[in-house]
Amino acid sequence: MRVELEAADLSKSYAGRRVFAGLALSASEGLVAVAGPNGSGKTTFLKILAGLLRPDSGSVRVRRGGADLSGDARRQAIGWAGPDLSFYEDLTAEENLDFFRRAAGRRADPAAVGRSLAEVGLADAARLHVGAFSTGMKQRLRIAFATLFDAPILLLDEPMNGLDAAGREMVSEVVAARRREGAVVLASNDPRDLSGADAVVEIAPARARLTRGTP
Amino acid sequence: MTAAEARASFFRRSLAVCGKDAAQELRRRIAVASVLFFAAASLTLVSFAIGPFGLPPEARERVCSALLWVLLFFSAATGLPRAFVREEESGTALALRLVAPATAVLAGKTLFNFVLFAAIAAVTAPAFALLLGWRIGSIGAFAAVLALGGLGLSIVSTFLSALVARASQKSVLFVVISFPLLAPLLLPAIAATVSASSGEIPWTALRVLVAYDGAAACGAYLLAGAAWEE
Repeated sequence: MRVELEAADLSKSYAGRRVFAGLALSASEGLVAVAGPNGSGKTTFLKILAGLLRPDSGSVRVRRGGADLSGDARRQAIGWAGPDLSFYEDLTAEENLDFFRRAAGRRADPAAVGRSLAEVGLADAARLHVGAFSTGMKQRLRIAFATLFDAPILLLDEPMNGLDAAGREMVSEVVAARRREGAVVLASNDPRDLSGADAVVEIAPARARLTRGTP
Repeated sequence: MTAAEARASFFRRSLAVCGKDAAQELRRRIAVASVLFFAAASLTLVSFAIGPFGLPPEARERVCSALLWVLLFFSAATGLPRAFVREEESGTALALRLVAPATAVLAGKTLFNFVLFAAIAAVTAPAFALLLGWRIGSIGAFAAVLALGGLGLSIVSTFLSALVARASQKSVLFVVISFPLLAPLLLPAIAATVSASSGEIPWTALRVLVAYDGAAACGAYLLAGAAWEE
């Protein structure tokens, strides 16, 4: 049964400055691109969708079979990776993902953690402390974190940041695989990252409009 | 999920958070080092200033009990508030919020802080008694008072850590808010320590400490989401 992400009439302000208003999105499968200039609120929008920020108005619902998900079911239905996502630098990559799995109530599963790291090309760095990671390796680890629970809704904020050509290819493969099984909402400043999207939500300061598709 | 499964999941998650904090602390030793340094420095100053003969025998139990708790409170205040502050400062709070409910995170961090407090008390209290020539009449009652007082201190400190984690003046705010909340814990703890050191079992004070710990745990559990989530 598909999981649906529905956002309606979202608005957000910071320190009296309205970032966006009237933003809506509906996604259950495929790739939804979120476009907009710097400062338009793409990161804020994705954080609101992930439940990390509260909107000033509007609502975000995650539903399966028409029923609203809440608590753990909702948390584990959404995978998120963004530039603000950080890891414990004094733990290894493997320890970080293992901890997040157990903190999410899952049993320790070294094989699953190994698969997640291998999927993003970090199998050889599994036992390195994250503090020793390069920018690109940290970005790969963010992608591994977002896909750790096989969430049907994947929110990726600037997922290509800091990645080399192989890393970009890896993210493209992850997106291609996940958009077949669920929805990927991808925010980026680079039009190349958004090509092939099924729908585009374009955010301009204090307004948002759908330019293509049916969000 | 049944109620039993939900409870098991809650404990597993809390233990995961506690284990992660312990692993980080064992590698970095920042909290342990700062807390033990503060405790050792205070202990040295107090023992040089008072020493085993600097107190009249009739005042020894009261003064030593009060000084011990002052020392434990400020030692704790240098280390325990780090629980959530470190998550916010390192940016790991976002990932933690995404995977675990605030209650499980709070419980795990409280457990780690209690273990940290127990380690501080296990080193500080015997050294304090030895340096000041303070004889404890009832070791069992004394240990119970330390355990219950430490538990309350850990619960409240961890909760306040979540509350002040995103504030600009965290340390000042923590001490200012913690004093009125911890005074109802510290006063019976000091009274119970006086009784325990004179060989009595302070049942009434122990009941007050149990009640305080219970109320603090319920309050922290109910308000965990409001304190830490966005």
